[in-house]
Amino acid sequence: MEEYHRHCEEVGFSADEAHNIVKECIDGVLGGEDYNQNNINQWTASIVEQSLTHLVKLGKAYKYIVTCAVVQRSAYGFHTASSCFWDTTSDGTCTVRWENRTMNFFFNVFAIAIVL
Amino acid sequence: MMMSEIAKDRMARSVRKRGSVSSLNGREFRQKELHGNTKNSRNTVSFTDEPSQQDNASRLTVQMENTYQLGPTKHFPAVIVNHILKDVLTNYLQEEQYEPELCRQMTKTISEVIKTQVKDLMIPRYKLIVIVHIGQLKSQSILIGSRCLWDPKSDTFSSYVFRNSSLFALASVYAVYFE
Repeated sequence: MEEYHRHCEEVGFSADEAHNIVKECIDGVLGGEDYNQNNINQWTASIVEQSLTHLVKLGKAYKYIVTCAVVQRSAYGFHTASSCFWDTTSDGTCTVRWENRTMNFFFNVFAIAIVL
Repeated sequence: MMMSEIAKDRMARSVRKRGSVSSLNGREFRQKELHGNTKNSRNTVSFTDEPSQQDNASRLTVQMENTYQLGPTKHFPAVIVNHILKDVLTNYLQEEQYEPELCRQMTKTISEVIKTQVKDLMIPRYKLIVIVHIGQLKSQSILIGSRCLWDPKSDTFSSYVFRNSSLFALASVYAVYFE
């Protein structure tokens, strides 16, 4: 019987890496765009999917949940909270807030370990 | 630190291989006492706005025995959880008006309450993520979406939107099977 070698030896979820990945995706897709009712659906879909593909490319044995909330920027109250029941040693989360002139973006990445 | 962890990991894995031949049922936990912490379900309520920094020093690798199960014995009941979400949101927010301080506390409280109620269902081997959004209703435009990379046969989610005259609330529960 052969030993199964994980091709990525790192253990644990790196919040910094996830943060950078998401930020790059957002900058790539949105850049200097303004809030547009028609395109917003497309944008969120492409950002979320792109970040998922990049996260998968990290090669770690994780399941990912990426959520995103977009709000038009004005005098508008908005609160988010999340509560998780998991293994704190191997699972992790990362929240990214991004804003421009016309909108606010809230991104959450949850990574849950798969034990191989 | 990482190198010694990798070396220990390989050693532990080879030790586990020998161990798994003899025992076919039950799960054995073998912990590395790096800091004398034991793995249990820690319930920490932490409110952070910044991306969380994982403490590398306190990371323990838990070696689990093979259960030889291909999938969950009891699937996550999305419908029951939907009812839980509806009840909790309605009870907490029916009469409330939108106020910044109140809603800030409300989101945290509601997410904890939902998590405890779903935990009480005692679905084995499922990890839970509960997300609550509360916002003002002011003819604004808001879009909330999510994508998940998981095993659709065993993992699922459930969500519910509650509205009253001055606010809206969205609660989602993601359940991920622990393989």
